[in-house]
Amino acid sequence: MKTRFLFPYWCRYLGYTLIIAHVPIALFRKILGFDTPGAAADPGLFNSHHIFFVTTTLAMAIGLFLVAFAKEKIEDEQISQLRLDSLQWAIYLNYILLTVTLILSSDKEHILLLNLWIPLIFFIIRFRWVIFRLNQSLSREG
Amino acid sequence: MKNNIRVERAIKNITQGELAELVGVSRQTINAIESNKYVPSTVLALKMARVFGKPLEDIFTLEDND
Repeated sequence: MKTRFLFPYWCRYLGYTLIIAHVPIALFRKILGFDTPGAAADPGLFNSHHIFFVTTTLAMAIGLFLVAFAKEKIEDEQISQLRLDSLQWAIYLNYILLTVTLILSSDKEHILLLNLWIPLIFFIIRFRWVIFRLNQSLSREG
Repeated sequence: MKNNIRVERAIKNITQGELAELVGVSRQTINAIESNKYVPSTVLALKMARVFGKPLEDIFTLEDND
């Protein structure tokens, strides 16, 4: 069975690298000097705050995308099935959380960011978890 | 759906890994099919039947609740 629209296997590691590289930059942006105080108040579209926000968000999003949609080493029909299942779970959870935040929070940026990460992150966790369980049942059988 | 892939494998004396390679799936998938956790597609079922040289019905059988 041919699976279309998936990245090659090695993209998973490129994705992990991007995600891991993104974390310290996002955490220490003040120390690294990317996020100068007052820059957020700058009304221009290309102020340093905005450019930093866009680049880090893009790096993280591309990283997550590569991890989520890279092929497995042996991409077979069961993997496609698990991928579909996990995607359904992720969409469910995303919409539940989206509805809850819509009620509880009025911060639109908050909702946007949440919606940007939750489906992919939850999908990756759920997908890796079922594959882990599958491998475990295999090693139990010997 | 029941299957007797484990028995057929023993008769042919091949491992899960070897069968997996012959039909082009992972060992995990063969294991999941053997333990009735995953129902294979028609294509995969036919491929396995071809490996064992038997008709499909000899390997896969419907259960009452199917």
